[in-house]
Amino acid sequence: MADAVFLALAVITIGSAIAALEMRSLIYGSIALMGTLGGVAGFFFLLDAPFVALFQIAVYVGSIAVLILFTVMLVKRELIFKKIEDKRRKFAGIGLMLIIMVSLGAVFLDSGIKTITTDEPAPNFRDIGIDFVTYYWPALILMGLLLAGSVTGALVLAKREDVENDQRAS
Amino acid sequence: MSVIAPKFKLSEFIKSLLDNIFWIMLIVVLVGLPAIMMILFVIEMPVIDGELLTPFLAFTWMADPTRILPVVHAFMATDIFKVIAFPGFGFAALLAAGTIFVERKMLAKLQLRVGPFYCGKFEGILQLMGDGLKLISKEIIIPAKADKPIFWAAPVLFVAAAASFVAFIPVAPGWVVADVELGLLGVFAVIGFFPIITILSAWSANSKFPFIGGIRALFQMVSFEIPLILSLLGVVMLTGSLNLSEIAASQSVFPWIVFLPVGAIVFFITMLAELERIPFDLPEAESEIVAGWLTELSGMMYGLVQLGTYLKLYAFAGLFVVLFLGGWNGPMVVPPFPAELLTGVEMGPVTIGPFPGLPLFDQAMLNGTFWFVLKTAGVIFFILLPRGVFPRIRVDMLLNLGWSKLIGLAFVNIFIALGLLYAGVLGPGGLQ
Repeated sequence: MADAVFLALAVITIGSAIAALEMRSLIYGSIALMGTLGGVAGFFFLLDAPFVALFQIAVYVGSIAVLILFTVMLVKRELIFKKIEDKRRKFAGIGLMLIIMVSLGAVFLDSGIKTITTDEPAPNFRDIGIDFVTYYWPALILMGLLLAGSVTGALVLAKREDVENDQRAS
Repeated sequence: MSVIAPKFKLSEFIKSLLDNIFWIMLIVVLVGLPAIMMILFVIEMPVIDGELLTPFLAFTWMADPTRILPVVHAFMATDIFKVIAFPGFGFAALLAAGTIFVERKMLAKLQLRVGPFYCGKFEGILQLMGDGLKLISKEIIIPAKADKPIFWAAPVLFVAAAASFVAFIPVAPGWVVADVELGLLGVFAVIGFFPIITILSAWSANSKFPFIGGIRALFQMVSFEIPLILSLLGVVMLTGSLNLSEIAASQSVFPWIVFLPVGAIVFFITMLAELERIPFDLPEAESEIVAGWLTELSGMMYGLVQLGTYLKLYAFAGLFVVLFLGGWNGPMVVPPFPAELLTGVEMGPVTIGPFPGLPLFDQAMLNGTFWFVLKTAGVIFFILLPRGVFPRIRVDMLLNLGWSKLIGLAFVNIFIALGLLYAGVLGPGGLQ
């Protein structure tokens, strides 16, 4: 069962990733990209990490994909897209991909992934949270400050200065 | 007699009915029964109580309550029943239909009109059915330059996303379609799909009004998702759980709106914005951009989007009830099931029963459903009310509200929750 699901997810993820690269229509390409990101979320579900999977869906499919769609819709395609395509580039790309895949695969196989027992209980996300506030608290606080800074920056950027005071929404 | 439709007579109608019945019977006798017999020839039928189970025997048993009630009882415990009928799609669609009717009627009363009046004998109560029949029978027109696959898929996807949102809402103890550990996160993930479907539908129509509406919907939904998520964090902190059933069960003493009124208000406002209700109905502002992103949808595609919208409205109201108003908790008002029916009733010479599997719904479930529906109806009323009261606001006011006011208030709510937690008022060692 799990193997069949894994194979199906792998086909969906890789197939839609190839489609996202090869589609002529940018909108369909970004929809295929959503398929890829959703497939990755499916892998997280298979790995007993629903917390990560749901965040993957909420953030990547829900927000990043919307951002890409929005950008694609508002930009004229001819301006960003010049057709540079020949056989040599294609073969070079495929060769590069094969080299990267083989070397990554060698690293994975060498890393002792075969000796991992797979029937251990899934890590609880509560334990991860407890670790975050006890052992890893400096990292958590750093992340919090970073995110707070970026949110404040976004709010400041969003506030337009060129609007007259009486035109400002109140 | 009318010249245009000379056959528009009662006798012709009765004749057509009889014709239909005749042909149906003929087809059943000539095709249906032989087909059943041929299928029975292949299937090995079970033997129950020493009798071979044939379709005729099965039909006989269906009239016997002592036989059929346990089957119904067992069916109601299955997932199929939960998905289709009770806490899932059927229940939500029923409430959504009620919402549409109440909205039209209430809006009419607020504006000193009558509203739906003629369809059905009493106060236009069958208007919704008439509208549904009209939408089904209308032609679906697709714009010539539309992107057809996306245009066809978008309404279906919209209803699917709304239905999967409904699946997370617990109605009574144990009565929820998807009782997942991370229910609230699932809700956030599902809410994230609505802007995608909206903008794809708007873009694929290849027309200017839907596109403007879709861009507005995208602005509005994406920017209001942030205060929506932040305003619910307080409840999660106090409950210590993301499971919606546990959150509802944790409010048996008092609802969270008592301690987190700020979060409830922020969530209510963002809810109005996510639902595109007035005063935030910029995506379908019918006085500016025809019907916004719904302009090019026709026939049942429009009907599907409307169904999805009202399912979403029910789901948001249910989420508000579960998170802030205590879900199914409430004083017990449902009387206990009469015990005589379980043991059998003697009526003179005749003894009726006992009926195995008879309490189809136990007392707690009926009571929970009653309180949940009552609270949800109240929340839906407050969602509908602004439509008769407020005008539409401008898009810059909307974004200003979402980004600078609601996010700040949501953070205030989080600090209130943290203060209550660390002061020991709530949480472990406190009231709960």
